Amino acid sequence: MDINLIQTQIEGDLAKIDSLSELEEVRAKYLGRKGLLAELTGAIAGLPVEQRGAFGKQVNALKNQTLDLFIKKEKELTAGNTVVKKSNLDIGMPGIAQELGVLHPITRVTEEVCAIFRKMGFSILGGPEIETEYNNFTGLNIPLEHPSREAFDTFYLKDYSKMLLRSHTSPAQVRLMKDKKPPLAIVVPGRVYRPDAVDASHSFMFHQIEGFMVDENIKLSDLKGLLETFAKAVFGNDIKMRFRPHFFPFTEPSAEVDISCIICKGKGCSVCGRKGWLEILGSGMIHPNVFKHVGIDAKKYTGFAFGMGVERIAMLKYGINDIRLFFENDLRFLRQF
Amino acid sequence: MRVTYNWLKDFVDIKIPPKELADKLTMAGLEVVALEAKDDDFIFEIEITSNRPDWLSILGVAREVAAITGAKLKNLCLPEAGKKHPKVKQHNGKLRIEIEDKKDCPLYTARIIRGVKVGPSPEWIKKRLELVGCRSVNNVVDITNYVLFELGEPLHAFDLDKINQEKIIVRRAKAGEKILTIDGLESNLSKDVLAIADSGKVIAVAGVMGGKDSEVGFTTKNILLEAAVFNPVIIRRSRQSIGKTSEASYRFERGVDLEMVARASLRAAQLLQEFCGAEESGFAISGLSSLQVTQVDLDIVYVCKILGVSLTAAKIKQILAGLGFSIKQKSKNILRVQVPCFRQDVKQQIDLVEEVSRIFGYERIPNTIPSVKPDIAVEGTRELVREVKNALLGLGLNEAITYSLIDRRGLVDAGFASGVKPVEVMNPLSQEQEILRPTLMLGLGRAVGFNLNQKQEHVAIFEIAGIFKAEKEPEENLALGIALSGTKSFFTAQGKVKDEAGLLNLKGILEKVFGRLGVSGYEFISQNDSLVQICVEKEKIGAMFELNHQSLNSLAIKNRSVFLCEISLEKLFSFARLNKKFTPLPKYPGVTRDISFILKENFSVQEILVQLKEKGQPLLSDVKIADYYQGKQIPAGYRGFTLSCFYASGERTLTEKEVQPVHDLLCELLGRQFEAKLR
Repeated sequence: MDINLIQTQIEGDLAKIDSLSELEEVRAKYLGRKGLLAELTGAIAGLPVEQRGAFGKQVNALKNQTLDLFIKKEKELTAGNTVVKKSNLDIGMPGIAQELGVLHPITRVTEEVCAIFRKMGFSILGGPEIETEYNNFTGLNIPLEHPSREAFDTFYLKDYSKMLLRSHTSPAQVRLMKDKKPPLAIVVPGRVYRPDAVDASHSFMFHQIEGFMVDENIKLSDLKGLLETFAKAVFGNDIKMRFRPHFFPFTEPSAEVDISCIICKGKGCSVCGRKGWLEILGSGMIHPNVFKHVGIDAKKYTGFAFGMGVERIAMLKYGINDIRLFFENDLRFLRQF
Repeated sequence: MRVTYNWLKDFVDIKIPPKELADKLTMAGLEVVALEAKDDDFIFEIEITSNRPDWLSILGVAREVAAITGAKLKNLCLPEAGKKHPKVKQHNGKLRIEIEDKKDCPLYTARIIRGVKVGPSPEWIKKRLELVGCRSVNNVVDITNYVLFELGEPLHAFDLDKINQEKIIVRRAKAGEKILTIDGLESNLSKDVLAIADSGKVIAVAGVMGGKDSEVGFTTKNILLEAAVFNPVIIRRSRQSIGKTSEASYRFERGVDLEMVARASLRAAQLLQEFCGAEESGFAISGLSSLQVTQVDLDIVYVCKILGVSLTAAKIKQILAGLGFSIKQKSKNILRVQVPCFRQDVKQQIDLVEEVSRIFGYERIPNTIPSVKPDIAVEGTRELVREVKNALLGLGLNEAITYSLIDRRGLVDAGFASGVKPVEVMNPLSQEQEILRPTLMLGLGRAVGFNLNQKQEHVAIFEIAGIFKAEKEPEENLALGIALSGTKSFFTAQGKVKDEAGLLNLKGILEKVFGRLGVSGYEFISQNDSLVQICVEKEKIGAMFELNHQSLNSLAIKNRSVFLCEISLEKLFSFARLNKKFTPLPKYPGVTRDISFILKENFSVQEILVQLKEKGQPLLSDVKIADYYQGKQIPAGYRGFTLSCFYASGERTLTEKEVQPVHDLLCELLGRQFEAKLR
């Protein structure tokens, strides 16, 4: 076998190729486990003893030269993209990846709000949507026959006495305060229901986030500080916050929290009803009567509670103008978030 | 409620411009939602919270203006709190008042006024009423309304000659009684309605609306002027029962100041004399003779503790006195506070804390951050739900939120009404909300239909929410629903590829979710071509299926297939194993051997995998479907498979000699047990 001929053949093969995959094919042909050089090495043993030494040297020399040729060729092929002649990359073509799904904007906002409170040490818990009249009203100091009940108009269940669909997330306060001992710092997001005719700003089902904190020495100033931190985290550091006296049966003193309108920056526009302020949540110090109902000593403990509508926050944050969009589940809507 | 700047000035000197006053009122809890300049006056539209009926008058707002601006109230000599109810001389012994139940009507007064000349009101009365949104009727009616808006005490004038003059009875109406009210509509009454009656018939629905028969008109000469207080609860029931509301009922329902009754009656009488030429000729009163006075002890330390600001006794006293409370220092830190009659909402310490904070100003209370003692308690299923959602998002599914209240009809039409008894709503607004959904499928099916109608090629959505059923107690369970429809197209290096949704896509999605939660031992059990049960450790946790023609029709979906699944998350989560354990990486390389064969269509490849895994022990560490095909090269009625068998040992590198017999055994098993033909 003419060793030189083999070397010429290898050089010829390498000259023809211009891709790494072809290089690997040629490499297998000569240097592979069953390649030509392995065959030559194997043949040494079959030669007469006196020829073995010389032939062995020749094969070794060929092997080394071949290895060098391959290294050289590989360098050639990989040295800069320009060398890869056959590449047809057009980076303007669509990228290839699996499509990601999106969370519903209501979930997104809920998660964002919960994450802020979690950072401040709150736990996130849930509560049932079917509630007792006691938890939804009585335990929260909302008298059965009182105009304040109207604000919490309610779907009652047929066949179950005094059971209803919670009209706010506050009954979770009653449940959790009965169940756990202070100190408490809890946030409860969830669906709520009220018999409202559906239009651009009303829905018979919507979402709220309730939060409360109970410990010794919890003060109104704490509520203010905490909610300001929250409002800035959601709507940006440059907003102003206003804490305005209001009435809720389950808190006293109570406050509604307004932020300076994020559309007109407080000048007055159609979104804020020319007021320059947007109401974002209700809050206050937990009423001693509520503590009495859940068996917490109001002399020792004080606490605050707050609640907000998730749809409202989402509408303000994303500039959505119709609450019905949330429940149509149009993918063209959902995919924007 | 509307008040005007000039009308307020009748009672208090205001030194600040209307805009500033509006801001101050808002920040004291009387939210001014609109301020409008009209003629030479300003109208304040104020939202009054339900706990403050005393603000439902010009006088009530004026009191607040005085408190926040530090001015004094004027033009009023209010009877002081705690005194006996002012006795008025009774002129005419003939008129008698009977109150059936003092709980319904604590106080009733009737004033006889003769010789009124009914005609148009003076311009200034007309104008003020117009500014607060009240239509002028005639001078007598306008004066009763004027006093209502000014003092917050609703009055009613009856035409004296059209009622039986012997006595006025305040009583519950009887079933079957009727009244034609001044709005010209007839109402059927019941025992839930409090009525004003003469000795013959009902002449008014107490506190809500007067009767047409005794209405004051241009021929009226003599009137009976009613000023009273009714129980808020009975007024609420009455107005609900007859389905009418009025400025009067709105105030009675929230609570009217007992002390104001006689004053308001007198004020109206004076105006009637002045502007209608009337003469007073009788007055009768029935009900409470003395007023209960509330006293509350206020601890200054408590005030500061709740508010987080330090206030002196002097400051607190000053604020409360400005609001009409009388205060005595009981001890160093305790103030004994006497509540004025018009503040029925103040019953305990915390009510006074609120008053102090309101007037002190919320904006002057500092912002502090509480120190939280965090509770690292488990947040229940929330973490698991988040895991599931993350997995689904990664697989390209979009989250939907659909209504929990649905129509029974839709459920039945779509064929989703299983044997489950749904929880019904007692007072739905429409049939669309009559039941709590027993399944997520209808909402998801509708969302799919909606999107297909918007020309979406591919819909892949999920929802995680409660489903409900009527058991002994109503049950609420967390469920996961997934809906797929249409063709997903995506790019690969070879070009665009299309993947049409099917049950195997649902299976794949669920397998990833199960894997994420560490759930093993699950099975997909095919009931037929379009229904698959999903079990974990033999317990059924849900099902997936293709919608049939009936369902598609009812959802208005044409020429598309839709695949749905629903799983009980409570059940699924009970099998979750989130605590991962590390398995050491293999020290010795394994051997992969493929088997290609064709299989009759009625054999289950699932069963083959189970059998191979079992028989290949201990060397066979995994077996997977590497490829499958149907087409030209495969005979009809068969499917082609390539299985990839991975042999490995934790103790040594396996040799051909060891692997071959096992592999041969498996190949032989395929032929013998499953009639597979090796290729």
